[in-house]
Amino acid sequence: MAPLKSMEKEYPLIDSHFQSFCASHAIFSLEDFLLYDLHSLIASADNHSSSITFKQGIDQLLSVIDTQLPPLMNGLQLLEDAECNKRLLPTGFKGIDALLGGGLRAGQLTELVGPSSSGKTQACLTSASTVAKNGGSVIYFDTGNSFSPQHIAHLVGQTSGYVIGNQAEPGPLQKVMERIICYSVFDIYQMFDVLQQLKINLKSKIVEPDRRVQLLIVDSISSLITPILGGSGPQGHALMISAGYLLKKLADEHNIAVLVTNHMVAGEGGTSKPALGESWKSVPHIRLLLSREYGSNVCNVSTLKHPSVVCLRHALWFVFGKKKGLKLSFYC
Amino acid sequence: MNKKEENEKGGVKGWIDGDETAHYMLRRISALRSTLLVPPLHRVPLRLGNVIEIFGPSPSAKTQILIQVAINCVLPKEWNGVRYGGFDHSVLFLDLDCRFDISRFSQMLTHRIMEGNAIGDCDKTLYDLCMQRFLYARCSNSFEFLQTLKSLHYRLKREKDHGVSVQLLLIDSIGAFHWVDRASMFLSLKEHNRKKLFLQSVSEAVVQDIKKLLQVHPMLVIATKSVIFGNTYSTASEEVNGCSRNVTRSPQHIQYREYMPSVWQSFVTHRILLRRSDDQPVINNSENSSLYVLEWLLPRIGLPDKIIVKDNGVFVDS
Repeated sequence: MAPLKSMEKEYPLIDSHFQSFCASHAIFSLEDFLLYDLHSLIASADNHSSSITFKQGIDQLLSVIDTQLPPLMNGLQLLEDAECNKRLLPTGFKGIDALLGGGLRAGQLTELVGPSSSGKTQACLTSASTVAKNGGSVIYFDTGNSFSPQHIAHLVGQTSGYVIGNQAEPGPLQKVMERIICYSVFDIYQMFDVLQQLKINLKSKIVEPDRRVQLLIVDSISSLITPILGGSGPQGHALMISAGYLLKKLADEHNIAVLVTNHMVAGEGGTSKPALGESWKSVPHIRLLLSREYGSNVCNVSTLKHPSVVCLRHALWFVFGKKKGLKLSFYC
Repeated sequence: MNKKEENEKGGVKGWIDGDETAHYMLRRISALRSTLLVPPLHRVPLRLGNVIEIFGPSPSAKTQILIQVAINCVLPKEWNGVRYGGFDHSVLFLDLDCRFDISRFSQMLTHRIMEGNAIGDCDKTLYDLCMQRFLYARCSNSFEFLQTLKSLHYRLKREKDHGVSVQLLLIDSIGAFHWVDRASMFLSLKEHNRKKLFLQSVSEAVVQDIKKLLQVHPMLVIATKSVIFGNTYSTASEEVNGCSRNVTRSPQHIQYREYMPSVWQSFVTHRILLRRSDDQPVINNSENSSLYVLEWLLPRIGLPDKIIVKDNGVFVDS
């Protein structure tokens, strides 16, 4: 936020006289003004000779604050925005889609938690290929070199029969693959860099509706955050929460669905629990738990947290096999 | 001289006699600020100006309870002959977690309207009226939160001019920016030593702003707070006094570390702990539900309530 000095040109009421009055209360920027007690400022302004101009200056600052904020929305406007802009994106995984009520919702942060080799990366790659096939752009943050273009080409080719065209004439498979942009990030600062750049690009560019970014995947966000958590300072947790807010803000403003994966750590009594601790639990909108028995083909998904689903639900489906079946059971 | 002495005497006597009796004062105040019974928090009568904090480990049904309270507030007392028993006022929801799902609110409201209606369909005008009374704002950092609070006075005044008055302020997750504020290196351009931490300054500013707001627009404030430190179990078998049933399991007293600054802690007038119940709910044929335990810590009521969350709402299981 701007220091008061820079606001003088645009708002002539905030002149140097008013600025020195504010400086006497140690207010040099809009942020200092927000932290200061308004009533004592007005009371102190009353004691001055030019109290009317000071009060006008204070009112001017308050109206600047008011204009910077979006207006209050009511329930009907929110619902309209949710229905028009926040669409459901099918992931291609019938089990996950069934639990999510149709697919990943734009504007929401979905988390997949599970022990290693439970199908998280598989789910991410399948979602990327499905969304790209249906015409949207996908941004994939790969933290562990698990992104495999061959696998995606195989998944796309499997369901739609696209084949790789020759160099001169790119076939439909090429077009689908072009929509998936993969970034290799190995620490959280790199991810912040890329996200900030993405924010600027999205704000300035006007893209045709079929090339819009619809899905953002971070596989896995826990490997970026776990190294910085721990230690006695709050910086690690602060970075984790800031990353969460940045992702949610991107999701909400540009109608993107965000999918992140998390791993498991040991909890009390020998059970496992999701990594990243208590503070992370309040960041994602939806949390799904994946698990797979060793040596089995059956993958198990259940809901840990969902804003509309009242009880835990389970879904089972077969993966890695020739037959893809689905069995739904409800547990409460 | 005589008149002055008489005036003085009358003044002293008047001062001893007092301005009004306690009975008269109670009558006057209860007419101004009547008590509200807000289900599912109806065990304790509340008044406008109270600040209630609901805390509990995730996932507990904190946001669901806020939505249920909001629905009770926006519904009218009576509509087309059906008694809904609502407070007939607007609600302001400040979403600091940025996780609110309007479709859940819409679902619960539709169910409630359909329940009351004899025909069983949803009255569109009533639905629209209630949805319009639900006001929403979201903040993604402490400065935006302070900006919203400071500008709320003028915004609420504008709404009041349109005939809409807000009686309920809901804040989802008052501790949402705790870590970010603690790690914040925000330094104002002051030359001398900063006596206070940024976290302290922000909390004081927030409490001041809400207090000033409550003076002009009396509202009931309900804030949720999530647990951010892992809990420490301390098993203690509770002596059950005066209860005829045998307690087979000793309830565990789970201690949750308080992390909000003391200025917020002293601002809060009521405190509720909400956590997932160990019992499994009876599985009905078509209904999905989850059970939670709601415990009033301030004022301390020994008996916890069982809260059941279904598709159509949040109820106290009796």
